[in-house]
Amino acid sequence: MVATERRSRLAQARRALGPAIWLAGLLVPLLLGGSWISIMAIFAIYAIVALSQDIVLGRAGMYDMGHAVFFGVGAYVTAILNTQFHWPIFATWPVAIVVAALLGAALSAPIVKLRGDYLLVATIGFNIIFVLAMNNNVLGLTGGPDGIFGVGVPKLASYALSSQGALFYVDWLVLAVALVLMRNLERSRLGRVLRYVKEDELAATTLGVDARYYKILAFAIGAGLAGAAGTLFAVQLASVSPGSFVFTESVTLFAIVLVGGQASIPGVLLGTALMFVVPQVFRGLAQYRYFAFGIAMILVMVLRPQGIWPRRRSG
Amino acid sequence: MDVVLQQFINGVTVGGFYALIALGYTMVYGVLKLINFAHGDLCILAAFIGLTVLTSGIGGADGGAMLVALAFIVAAIAIGIAGTVLELTAYRPLRKAPRLSAVVSALGASMLIENGIMLIWGPQVQVFPANLLPHLSWSIGSASISFVQLLIIGGSIALMAALYFYVHHTRFGTAIRAAAIDQDAARLMGINVNRVIASVFVIGPALGAVGGLFIGLYYREAYFSMGWIYGLNAFIAAILGGIGNIPGAMVGGLVLGLFNAFAAGYVSSSWQEAITFALLIAILLVRPTGILGERVAEKV
Repeated sequence: MVATERRSRLAQARRALGPAIWLAGLLVPLLLGGSWISIMAIFAIYAIVALSQDIVLGRAGMYDMGHAVFFGVGAYVTAILNTQFHWPIFATWPVAIVVAALLGAALSAPIVKLRGDYLLVATIGFNIIFVLAMNNNVLGLTGGPDGIFGVGVPKLASYALSSQGALFYVDWLVLAVALVLMRNLERSRLGRVLRYVKEDELAATTLGVDARYYKILAFAIGAGLAGAAGTLFAVQLASVSPGSFVFTESVTLFAIVLVGGQASIPGVLLGTALMFVVPQVFRGLAQYRYFAFGIAMILVMVLRPQGIWPRRRSG
Repeated sequence: MDVVLQQFINGVTVGGFYALIALGYTMVYGVLKLINFAHGDLCILAAFIGLTVLTSGIGGADGGAMLVALAFIVAAIAIGIAGTVLELTAYRPLRKAPRLSAVVSALGASMLIENGIMLIWGPQVQVFPANLLPHLSWSIGSASISFVQLLIIGGSIALMAALYFYVHHTRFGTAIRAAAIDQDAARLMGINVNRVIASVFVIGPALGAVGGLFIGLYYREAYFSMGWIYGLNAFIAAILGGIGNIPGAMVGGLVLGLFNAFAAGYVSSSWQEAITFALLIAILLVRPTGILGERVAEKV
């Protein structure tokens, strides 16, 4: 009796932990200096991208190593519509999401039938082709290797969200929406179907699940969410360039999900913090950053092959 | 006509080192079903080690051929050892772990080696001195073949022939092929699969080391981050030939080298990598088991 009570209280505390941390995050602009506000804003943006990678990789089980493409597409759509066609930022946002999602569906449709490693190599190919296309200034819209400068600030009615703090609140709010979406996905029919397809595609198919449809859908949802984060990224940096969406970025996103823990929301957030926040603390050692990441990735995998904060079995 | 011949010679040269590097990918994939992402970086590490030996001045100013041979031997031994260390520390503990854990470990090893090179040799491009190899070239019609091209083509063919003989005509080579087809059955037949895997992590990197040093001597430069792009190209070569298939890697390297040489003639060089990957994706969709077929018994 006492034990169950204590267990349920523990579970309650655990459920409250996430929202409590998120609420504490709201104090960041009040308590911390300018550089930390933008670091936390970048963290929120990359956390959204990492969660979107987790939809494809951790939940649907597809080895997507070109996810930076969809993040980049969102950023470029916003930057192009805003600087060339003078759309307000918030008006570009739905376009960025839809274009990224459609591209995700279109690129994945021919390749979802490929086995894991082949899918991985094909998505690397998409990433390389995307970066070359941006570098080579296709249609004269992408600005070549330097990218696009002068992306505007979002406006709410007549109030411009131009300060670091205001942008942080936008990013932090979108992160909350993404987290709620991920939690709902976890508990929804779609989430269960994806898990089933991941664990045993053949069995799922014999029960009438159209595995191909759900895999493409997972790609489209993951790409759309990454595209949404792309808009935030373009606004945060006020510019976009191909260097932000190279293959190495996709590798980093891939590693975040595996190092943190597949299909584990706290794991993915922890992985993002390790890759993007911790290096800021050791900025003096910047040249050792990727060397240390390399060692850390091997160590984590050897010591905890399921990731640092793996998914709980019951969930 | 002569332009075609010249592009053919260039393509075979590039194909030679792609094939040597592709062998390392395909052999590891054959026995472990693992893409060894660190392989390309190991090969480029060999170029740096070789360059250090070549410019060390051992053997005096006219060490010549001896010095070049020494550079290849030192690089191959050092990378063979590095491959063994990699296998023992980063891959062996993960044999029973989920496949993706080993992939991330390989990506970590790649990052570690690439940035290790940067920390040791610096981020700038290292130039191979012009006087390392004789400046000879022979003309065939109006095309020509240089000494370094002949060295690369001859060296690659010799090494591949030796490997082919080793894998197909010796007892241990048979064990390697058996372990690639079915590890459990091989173990039941008394094959020490651990030894096979260990040997693959010596042979593959050592051959790749020769390929990496070829790259350095051919382009006369090396920089720390070049491992992944040459590695990816070589890996594409391995897939083209059918991953896990040793002769396939040789054919795949040659096909990719020729494809690059001829595609570069007709397409802007800024799109060349895109063309290579477009070819890869096309092959994966049409014939995912590669040109010669995959030797790995697995669902595609």
